[in-house]
Amino acid sequence: MLQTVSVNIIRILFLVLLQALVVSRVQLFDGLIFPWVYIFAILMLPFETPRWMVMFIAFFVGLLMDYFSGPIGLHTSACIFLGYLQPIVQKILAPREGYDLTQRPTVQRMGLAWYVTYAGVLTLAHHSWFFFMEVFRFSDFLYQVFHILLSTFATLVLMTIGQYLIYNSKSSQL
Amino acid sequence: MKNILALLRRFYIFLLFLGLQALALTFLVRNNRFHASEFIQHSSDWVGSVYSQRAQLSEYLRLGEINDQLSLENALLRSATPENYWHLRTDVDTLRDTTTLQRYYYRTAKVVNASVNREKNYITIDRGSLGDVRADMGVIAGGNIVGVVRSASEHFAIVMPVIHSDFKASVRLKRSGAFGSLVWAGGDAQLADVIDIPKNIPVAQGDTIVTSGYSTFFPANVHVGIVDWVDDSDNDYHLIKVRMGVDFRRLDHVLVVSDIFKEEQDTLLNKVEQQDAANGKR
Repeated sequence: MLQTVSVNIIRILFLVLLQALVVSRVQLFDGLIFPWVYIFAILMLPFETPRWMVMFIAFFVGLLMDYFSGPIGLHTSACIFLGYLQPIVQKILAPREGYDLTQRPTVQRMGLAWYVTYAGVLTLAHHSWFFFMEVFRFSDFLYQVFHILLSTFATLVLMTIGQYLIYNSKSSQL
Repeated sequence: MKNILALLRRFYIFLLFLGLQALALTFLVRNNRFHASEFIQHSSDWVGSVYSQRAQLSEYLRLGEINDQLSLENALLRSATPENYWHLRTDVDTLRDTTTLQRYYYRTAKVVNASVNREKNYITIDRGSLGDVRADMGVIAGGNIVGVVRSASEHFAIVMPVIHSDFKASVRLKRSGAFGSLVWAGGDAQLADVIDIPKNIPVAQGDTIVTSGYSTFFPANVHVGIVDWVDDSDNDYHLIKVRMGVDFRRLDHVLVVSDIFKEEQDTLLNKVEQQDAANGKR
């Protein structure tokens, strides 16, 4: 239990720093593609985490990210939305025999198709909320839609590659 | 009563969602409205120190390029010193000029963090209230406009650059002297827009845009950029695309401009506006 908590805290700090110091510095097509990989920390919470706790963790992850980038409240808002949707999406995608509650939603455990659906839907939801909140105008709607879709795709690819790199079948503690 | 409790239990997650969302949006609105939000004040010192570590590293990796820039600047300054000039006049006279007063003062600062690919970009510099950097001071780099300081903590200040969707500054065409507003519509970090210049004023590709000196942020004639192309599809005004002189991707050393007369000018304007408001009421 204690180990799960500390591992999650370390993962959150690591991902927020990775986002702020490395990923946010990458320029792709003048900001058309802008992945926000730190949400991986929220997606990776164990299945057994209670819903209210998921939302509070999402709130604090968003707040932490906001301290590093731009106006306070933007990531917070998007992350709360993500935290609200996450258990709902998990419930919809639940396999017939249910989840092993102590597990985390990884590719190795749940399979690639399941993972891409799960992370894809949630990333799209988070990115849409975030980018529309950030811009707050619908004049260049088409550009925004491209922006969201391409960024979602980039985030998804980075998160999936990251899983293959970090989570070997044996050492699945991190 | 029992029913209400049952209802609450059923919807408490959604209520929690609404509550947290309201909290987040309050942060966002407060922070946008006020210049020096408390959150930024408290956070930017420790976040700033993380960023300045990173900036140190990347500055170290670019030392060669920075050295080249500095030595070029040294050469320019050295060639401007008096002993390099051969005087044509042999008579000496003293000149004490009492007709001028210093109005603008410049301080150096280093950029520790900058974003260029968002809609609302920010730049963090390593000078704050301890270095006499305050909100509403202009920031320039290499003689080009960069942005305006929005809030300052003790050691750091947050700058709103031209490439921020809320930025607006008064500029003019150097050739004809016509005034317009400098804004940024997003997208390319090198291209800004100049709006509000009427169609009857001729604008050509390659014209220079400079600051007007109307605001107290910048002195007049700070270089903004060169006209890249002009979009005349709108009826009354030009939409002028300006290629900016400053490269926001590689900002290192900037100058913070403080206007010594700012307070005087602002109080005077406020006084007159208040008088007018009072007259209007009567």
